[in-house]
Amino acid sequence: MSKKRISRPAKRPAPKSASAAEPAVNEAAAAGGPAQTTTSPSELAPVSTTQGADGVVSAASPDEADAAPDDAPTEFVAPTWNHSLIDVTPEPVWEPDLKALLKSWRRGRATKRLSQVLQDGYVTIFSVLVIVAMLGGAVFRAQSEATACATATCEVGRGLLPWVMLFAAFTLTLAAARVFGPVVASAAEGFWLLDAPIRRARLLRRRLVAVLGAVAGGAAVLGAVLAALTGYPWPQILEWAAALGLGAAGLTGLAALEQTFARTWLVKLVQWLFGLAALAALATITAVAGGWISLDLDSAWSTRVVIGLGGAGVAALVLFGGLALARLDQIHRARLVSGGNLISGMQGAAFAMDLGLMRDILVERDAMAKGQVRPTLGLGHGQTAIVGRELQRLWRYPKRLVLLVVSLGVPYAVGALGLTRFNPFISALVLLIAFVPLLGSLRVLTRTRGLARLFPFSNARLRLATAAVAAGLAAIWAILASPAFHGLGAVPDASFSTAAANALVTAAAGLLAAVRWVSAKPADYSTPMMQTGFGALPPGLMFNLFKGLDVVAVMTGPLLLGWSPWVSVVIGVIVLYLLSGSFDMKEAQQMQAELKKEREQLKGGGKPGARQVIAPPKRR
Amino acid sequence: MAKARIPVLKVSNLKKSYGDHVIVSNFNLEAWPGEAIALTGRNGAGKSTILRCLVGADRPDEGAIEVNGETLRESNPVIRGAVATVIDDLDFFPDLSVVEHLDLLARAHGLPDSDDAVDAILHEVQLVPQSGQLPGTLSSGQRRRLALATAFVRPRQLLILDEPEQRLDVEGVEWLAQRLKTERQAGLAIVMASHEPTLVKTVATKTIRVGER
Repeated sequence: MSKKRISRPAKRPAPKSASAAEPAVNEAAAAGGPAQTTTSPSELAPVSTTQGADGVVSAASPDEADAAPDDAPTEFVAPTWNHSLIDVTPEPVWEPDLKALLKSWRRGRATKRLSQVLQDGYVTIFSVLVIVAMLGGAVFRAQSEATACATATCEVGRGLLPWVMLFAAFTLTLAAARVFGPVVASAAEGFWLLDAPIRRARLLRRRLVAVLGAVAGGAAVLGAVLAALTGYPWPQILEWAAALGLGAAGLTGLAALEQTFARTWLVKLVQWLFGLAALAALATITAVAGGWISLDLDSAWSTRVVIGLGGAGVAALVLFGGLALARLDQIHRARLVSGGNLISGMQGAAFAMDLGLMRDILVERDAMAKGQVRPTLGLGHGQTAIVGRELQRLWRYPKRLVLLVVSLGVPYAVGALGLTRFNPFISALVLLIAFVPLLGSLRVLTRTRGLARLFPFSNARLRLATAAVAAGLAAIWAILASPAFHGLGAVPDASFSTAAANALVTAAAGLLAAVRWVSAKPADYSTPMMQTGFGALPPGLMFNLFKGLDVVAVMTGPLLLGWSPWVSVVIGVIVLYLLSGSFDMKEAQQMQAELKKEREQLKGGGKPGARQVIAPPKRR
Repeated sequence: MAKARIPVLKVSNLKKSYGDHVIVSNFNLEAWPGEAIALTGRNGAGKSTILRCLVGADRPDEGAIEVNGETLRESNPVIRGAVATVIDDLDFFPDLSVVEHLDLLARAHGLPDSDDAVDAILHEVQLVPQSGQLPGTLSSGQRRRLALATAFVRPRQLLILDEPEQRLDVEGVEWLAQRLKTERQAGLAIVMASHEPTLVKTVATKTIRVGER
């Protein structure tokens, strides 16, 4: 009698009694049909079954199976797996245990402690501390310079500038909260955990609290720096820090609550209101600096409002944050995971210190969300078509101009604070950020050589065409900002020609810095690596953070030193030549190599190493 | 058809290696107007590497590449105007719609009847319903059709394609084969890498098996 042996892997510990492990044999098998066993999950023991010639399956306990003779037929028959788990009542899951398990696994896989990582990278940490100390020094120098200015304009500027920054910070907080979540989950969590019948709130509660805490902390530091920069004493610095921190946390709580309702309109509305408030405050500073209006700010009133704002932040945090915590179960999994995916993409770019790539990810996401546009016919032919398309882009996406419009108030605000000497540097830094959204095409063409290759222009002409509209806007900005560089008080800071030149240099520095920012090559991981405390890094990685800033420093440096604007103009022309792609190091090397090869061939009569034969001169 | 004095594309002794690993060595090729050359061979044989060198995306270690008698430089506007390429390094502007991409290209190349040309190619690649869509929302097959359309909407003397049949459906591959055949018969020089026997059989006048010694 031939017997087939079927073995099945153990799923759970074997039950104590053999009878409990015995699977039921279905009637079809008993009748001679295909054998099927049905086992409830609790009965998944290492069972061996033997099938007789009559098709009847009998079960044996593990001990009996092990006792089977070695020469028994070993032909493998796929086990019948019929456990749909339909009738299983799941046991309640205690979510904190799941989290603890994940934490334990993660810790088990770590190869280094945080302290060891910090020890290994002490050179980098030391460098960062030095940079932070330098920035801190610069802030306090600026503070003392700002405090020294005692004119009415300076007083108003000092009184209103923190409000501009506060409203701007709230706007950015809401924008970031809306884009990311603010409550997020990774793709893995979305797949493995959130699909399970667990209470999401228990998993996400600490996460939301951590986000609120991080936002409060970050905003408080920003508030303290801003208050220090504008020359406030310590008590007021603390008040501003608290107001900004608590306000930002309260608004993040609102965004989280809106996330539980799967809607964004309220957050968008509040975001726009704060954006407009920032613009209004900036416009007021400009108007006061220009002498168009006069304003008498009551510092006591301002302090009361700041304290009230902090109180409102606490109320918002408690109310919205509390409601959001109570409704965390309602957040859609897709919404949680989409924010997590975005963060994961941004983290990848952040590890490469590639801010451009981070922006690309956000731009792609925006485009995906928009999906469709009403197509428009292009304008002109040749390079004009590219310039025309840039204009049409601006018409379609006017939001890209918002930052540039805002940046126009910066030289006036800086002048109003009495920081005239730093005006070109600070304004150019703001312009660097403002021009980036206007150079989207240049960014794509630089990043994607395949797309650039489709156009019948050299790289230099292509770059100039894509930056032409931004250059026109920079010229307009320079004209409108010239009065700020001239000086708005009774005694002008500079002659009108010098002011116009300074404004032009500032605008050009901002534009060229933005061009450098969008067109800089990312770190090349195929080149030989540099050994650092944090491991091997590509040589260009550290410079990624400074791209753009270098152009601002180089071009506005001469103005800070009091040199002629013409020095900056000459530097600007060199920077333009380098950035336009007219100079390509690899191409130059290739051409040099080709020339060398041609010279060798000429010397060698066409073959490297062959003797050159010189024909005798012909006689007439 | 009478042959021109110089080939549209001439490749002499091309060599390309990554580190110590030589991918292509001593590769020679001439493509004349009305000629279609298909590069075939197993995966990793070096077809795409050759094509990347031909369009200037990669620099060969040795050898010379000439387009219409002029040494290849990727940023040379004359060469860019003469060579249409569809290889794997193509991407799109995220904020321009399908039809706007084609319109921009046609206008940049100074095509006199750009609107008609764009309409015609849009119908041909069957992207009319998607004409207002932004590229990020297209399926991979639709993106491939758009990439092919960018090559057909502009003037060209040489067409370089790397596995153009990728992600196309059966009808799409048939359309592409007929389109390329017509282009070749009209005098276009084509160099393409392909794993699709139908495409190679219909289009190619010469087949080079890469990676066989």
